[in-house]
Amino acid sequence: MTSFQSTLGEEPGIAEELAESQQAISIAEFFEKNKHMLGFDSGARGLVTAVKEAVDNALDAAEEAGILPDIYVEIQEEGDYYRLIVEDNGPGLTKESLPKVFGKLLYGSRFHAREQSRGQQGIGISAAVLYSQLTSGKPAKITSRTEGSSEAQYFELIVDTDDNEPEISVEETTTWDRPHGTRIELEMEANMRARQQLHDYIKHTAVVNPHARLELREPQAHFKFERATDQLPEETEEIRPHPHGVELGTVMKMLTATDSQTVSGFLQEEFTRVGKKTADSIIDAFRDRHYGREMRWRPPAVHEDVDLHAAVEDATANKGADATAAFAEAIAEEVDGYDRIAHHELLEVVDEAAEAVEDDHGTTFGDTVRENAVAAVWRDLVDATSEDEAADGDGDAGADEPGESRLVADLYDLADEATSTRKDDEVVRAFAERLAGKFDDATEDDVRHRLTRDDLVAYVDRAADLTEEYDDVAFGDTARENVVEAIWDVMATVPDDPPLVRELNGDRDATSDLVDGMRATDIMAPPTRCLSPISADLIEAGLEKEFDADFYASATRDAEVSGGDPFIVEAGIAYGGELESEGGADVMRFANRVPLVYQRGACATTDVVKSIGWRNYGLDQPGGSGLPKGPAVIMVHVASTNVPFTSESKDAVANVPEIEDEIELAIREAARELKSYLNKRRSMQKRRKKQNVLGKILPEMAEKVAEVTGREEPDIDDAIARIMNNVLVERQVEENGDSKAVSVVVENNSGTNESLEITDIVSAEPTDLSDGATVVEMDGEWFVKWEPEVSSDDEATLEYEVPDGASCDLDVKGVESEKLTVNEQ
Amino acid sequence: MSADNEQEAREQLIDLAAQFYDQFELGEIPHMSVPTRTKNNIEYDEEKDVWVYGDRESTRSANSVRGARKLLKAVYTIEFLADQLDEGRSSTLRELYYLSESWDNEEAQFSDQDESNQLVEDLEIVSGATREDFHMRPEESGATIMGPLHLREQTRRGEREIHCQKDVGEGGYQIPNNPDTIEFLDCDADFILAVETGGMRDRLVENGFDDEYNALIVHLKGQPARATRRITKRLHDELDLPVTVFTDGDPWSYRIYGSVAYGSIKSAHLSEYLATPEAQFIGIQPADIVEYELPTDPLSDSDVNALESELEDPRFQTDYWEEQIELQLEIEKKSEQQSLASHGLDFVTETYLPERLDEMGVL
Repeated sequence: MTSFQSTLGEEPGIAEELAESQQAISIAEFFEKNKHMLGFDSGARGLVTAVKEAVDNALDAAEEAGILPDIYVEIQEEGDYYRLIVEDNGPGLTKESLPKVFGKLLYGSRFHAREQSRGQQGIGISAAVLYSQLTSGKPAKITSRTEGSSEAQYFELIVDTDDNEPEISVEETTTWDRPHGTRIELEMEANMRARQQLHDYIKHTAVVNPHARLELREPQAHFKFERATDQLPEETEEIRPHPHGVELGTVMKMLTATDSQTVSGFLQEEFTRVGKKTADSIIDAFRDRHYGREMRWRPPAVHEDVDLHAAVEDATANKGADATAAFAEAIAEEVDGYDRIAHHELLEVVDEAAEAVEDDHGTTFGDTVRENAVAAVWRDLVDATSEDEAADGDGDAGADEPGESRLVADLYDLADEATSTRKDDEVVRAFAERLAGKFDDATEDDVRHRLTRDDLVAYVDRAADLTEEYDDVAFGDTARENVVEAIWDVMATVPDDPPLVRELNGDRDATSDLVDGMRATDIMAPPTRCLSPISADLIEAGLEKEFDADFYASATRDAEVSGGDPFIVEAGIAYGGELESEGGADVMRFANRVPLVYQRGACATTDVVKSIGWRNYGLDQPGGSGLPKGPAVIMVHVASTNVPFTSESKDAVANVPEIEDEIELAIREAARELKSYLNKRRSMQKRRKKQNVLGKILPEMAEKVAEVTGREEPDIDDAIARIMNNVLVERQVEENGDSKAVSVVVENNSGTNESLEITDIVSAEPTDLSDGATVVEMDGEWFVKWEPEVSSDDEATLEYEVPDGASCDLDVKGVESEKLTVNEQ
Repeated sequence: MSADNEQEAREQLIDLAAQFYDQFELGEIPHMSVPTRTKNNIEYDEEKDVWVYGDRESTRSANSVRGARKLLKAVYTIEFLADQLDEGRSSTLRELYYLSESWDNEEAQFSDQDESNQLVEDLEIVSGATREDFHMRPEESGATIMGPLHLREQTRRGEREIHCQKDVGEGGYQIPNNPDTIEFLDCDADFILAVETGGMRDRLVENGFDDEYNALIVHLKGQPARATRRITKRLHDELDLPVTVFTDGDPWSYRIYGSVAYGSIKSAHLSEYLATPEAQFIGIQPADIVEYELPTDPLSDSDVNALESELEDPRFQTDYWEEQIELQLEIEKKSEQQSLASHGLDFVTETYLPERLDEMGVL
C-alpha cells in the first residue's frame, strides 16, 4: 500500500469520486423518508390521513361517473395493527390502471386539469399504500369491479420505492357483491388517539357532501350519515387558464407547446375568456409595453407661423405643380383634422394622400417622395431645424420666438393641466422647456418620439429634477405622476405587428411584456363551470343538519382568479342554540369539499377569521383580535381548480392574498347577517326585559292608584301595549239581539309598518264580513282570514257578525311575539 | 298654616293619583309633566319681580322602565303623605327616604335621598302646595338670627316671646322650620345683614356689630335653607328692612346671594314665597379683592366653569354681575370673607362693612 501522498494525483478527482455517489432519487423514496409531508407523521394521524385520502378518491370517482356516492369505512383492530377498509360504489378501475393508481406516486388524472376536484396530485392514496407497507410490511389488498363486468379484479401490491412503480404480488379475478366500485384494504401501525379528528373529518364531509351516504364502523362504534339530497353536485368542466394570474414561466411553457402561429391566436386558443376583442386589447397593452407609444403632437394652429403646405411642396420634387399642390393640400388638410398626431399616423396620412393623388393625377408618388413629405411635415410638427435651416442660421421659424418651440407650448399645456393650480406658471413653463429638451434630444435617435412608459417616466423625472435644482421649487411625486399620466394618455399605441409565437418563444423580456399586458387588460372573470361550489342554500342546509343552532347564515362569492385558476369562496355561520358557548368559536375549513382537520393555525382561513373585528358583528372577541368567543361555528369553503395548500398533505390553505381577500369578504357577508340577527335579538331581549319590569311595575302602580283613590283597579292592557310600542290586537264583542257584532281592532303603536296575518276561528258561520277578509269553512269551524297592513300609529278594523253563543279563537302571525299584545274579549 | 291648607294639599295629592287612574282607564300611558328645573328654563316674572319656571316641561312617563319606577314611587309617596296629613303628623325628607325601605314593594323604594327630595319637589309643583303643607321638613334646621328683633313663636309647647338679642345666648335665635308660625312684635333694626360663614357671623357678633349698627345678623350657613330665606323675605316685606348679603368672593357664594335674592333654580315654583329680589350684595366683590388688596387663592378649573356658567345664568344677567364676574375671570383670583382679617380683626366692622354699606346707601 502506497502512501496517499503518492497516489492522490493519480486517483480520479474528488468531484468525480463524489459524483459516483450522487444519484437520482425516486419520488417514492423521497416520500418514504418524508412521510410527514403527506400527513403520515404519526400512527394517530396516519390513520386519519389514510381514511381521508381513500374517501376523497372514492367521492371523486363516484361523482365523476355521475353516481351518488355510497361509501363505507371500516377500521378493525388487528393485533398491534389496524386494518382500514374503504369501499365505494364508484365506476371501478380497469385492470391496467389500477396498479398504477394505488402503487405509483404522482399518477393521476387530475394534475393537469383545471377543474375542481378533491384529489389533485395523485399522491394521496399511493402514499397511504406506501405508509401501510412501511409500517406493517403487508401489501395493500384492492378489489375493483367495473360496471358491466362479471368479475372483479383482486390485487395485492406494494410501491416499489426504488423506481416508484407498483410491485404486484397477487393478481387474480374474484367475485364481489357490489355491481361496481373499489375496495381497498390497508393494514398499518396506527392508533385511535385521533378519533376526534377522524369523526370531525367524516362529519364535516357529510356537511359539505349532502348527496353522499357515509358509513363509519369502528371497533366500538358505528356512525351513519344519510343522504340529504339526491342531487349530485353539478358536473365540473375542465377549463383553460385565465390570463389574469398566470405566471411568466407558465406562459413561456405554453408558448413552447402551442400550435398557434400568432400571439392573437395563442391567446384565444390557450386561455379562457379571450376572444378576438380581448386578444386585441391584450396585444395593444403588449405593444405599449414592448414597443412603447408614440408621442402625438398638435398640428399647427392658424396663428402659428408653420406652413405644412409649403413644407410638403418644398420637399416634393419633379411631380408637376398640380399634383404636388394637391398632394400638399391633402396632407395639410388631413393633418389639420387631427387633434394630435403621431408619427405613424402621419405616415398613414401621407400614404393616403399619395394614393389619392396618384389616382387623380396619374403621377406616381414613390416611397422616397412619401418619406420626404413625412420628414418635412414631422420636422415642422416637432419644430426640429432641418440641416439647411440650421446652416442658414436665421431662418424665420426660430427668429421671432427663440427658445419657445412648439413642443414647449404643447407640453406646457399638458403639464399645466395636470399639475395643481398652485404651481407657479413660470415653474411649469421651465419644466415644459426641459421636458421638450428631452424630446428634442430624442429626435436624433428616433424621430418618431417612441417611448415606453418607463422612458417617459425617466424624461419627466429628469425634467422635474432639473426644475427642482435650478428653480429651487418642489416638484413632487404626485405632480410627476400626473404629468406622466397626462402625456401617456395623449400618446398613441403603435401599429407594429406583434411578434409571432415562434419569435416570442424564448424571448423572456417580450414574454414578460405580454404577461404584463395580460394582467393590465380587463378580462371577464373565468367561467365557473369548472368549479362546484356548495351554494349558499346547501351550506345552510348542511349546517342545519349537523348543528343545532338558532341562526344560520351563508354567502357564496363570485369566482375570482389566482394564478390562472378560478376559485370561489363560500362561508357559513351558525350561532346559538345548542352550540358550545364556552371558549372560542369553531372554525370549519374546507377545500374543494374536503374538510381540513389538521394544521388549523397554519391555514389562511384561520388567519382571516382571526383578523376580522368580530365585535363589529356582535360577537365577543377578547383584545379585539383572534378567534371570536361564544356559541358559533364559522365555516369556510375554498373551491378552486388548484387550491394552494401549504404542503402536500393538504391540511392548510396557503396565504395567497387574492384568496385571503375573498375569504374575508365571504365571512363578512355572512357575518353581516349574523350582526343584524344579533341586533334584533338584543333589541327583543331588551324589549322582553322592559316588558317584564313594566309588567310588574304597572299593575302595582294601578293597584296603588286604585287604593289611594278608593276605586276599582283600572284596566292597563291598552296602556302597556302603547308603552311597549306593541301591536295591539283587540277583539270587542257587542251583543246585538240574538247575534253578536265582533270587531277586531289592530292598533299599531310601533315605529314601523306591520303586516299581520290574523285568523279568527269561529264556531258558527260569520256574516256581514268587512272588506278584505275571507272565510273558509273546515270541519264545522269557520276560519276568518284577514291580512291587514297597518302603518305606524294607525289602526285597522275587521268586523263581522256571528250568532249568539258562537265562540271565537284569535290567532295572530306576522309580528314577533315580543311586539304583540292580543286582547280577546 | 291652617287645617284648610292641609286638607287642600291632601286633596290635590289624591287628584294626582286619580289622574293616573284615568290615564290607565283611557289606555293612555300614565304620565305627569313638571317644569324643567334647569337654569335654561327660568324666566323673570315682571309682575312678581322674581324668577319663575318657563314653559319647558319634562314629562315623567311610564313609557320607560325608569319613568314607570318614578311614577310608582310617586304613587307610594302620595299615599304616604296623604296618610301623614290624615294623622296630623310630620316627617323629614330624610325620614321619607328611609321610610321607603319599609314599603312592601322594592321597586317603589328610593335609591338615594336626592331621588326622594326631587320627587317631593315634583309633587309640590304639580299639586301647587308646598312641602310644609305636606308636613315635610328639611333635614337641616334653619339658621340663626341675632339683632334687635322681638317676636312670638308658635311652638309645640305653646307660644314663646323672644327678643333676638336679649333673650338669646351668643348663638342667637334659632329659626324654626316653618317661619310662618312666627309673629313679629317689635323691631329696632335698620337693616338685615345675611352672612354666609359661621366664622364671620361670630366675628360680627363679637365685635358688637348688631348693636352698633342696629343690624339683624342672619346666619345663612352656606346655601340657605328655605326657612332662612322665608324669614328673610318676611322681615323684608313685613318690617320693610333692607336686606344685604355678605359672602365669600367666589362663584359658589354668588349663588348663595342669588338664591336669597332671586330664588333657587330647584325651588323656582316657590320664588314668590321665598325670594327677596331687593336683596343687595355687599361682597366680597372681585373689585374688593383689588381695592383692599386681599389675600387670595387662584381660581380652580371648576371655579372658572362656575363663573362662566353664571354668565349664562339669566339671574346674573345684569350689568353689575357681568362686570364683577368678568373682572374675576380676568384677575383669576378669589378671596374668603375672613381674608379681611389680614388688615386686623376689627377691619371688617370698622372699615369694610361701613364703607360698603355706605356706598350701597344702606347706612
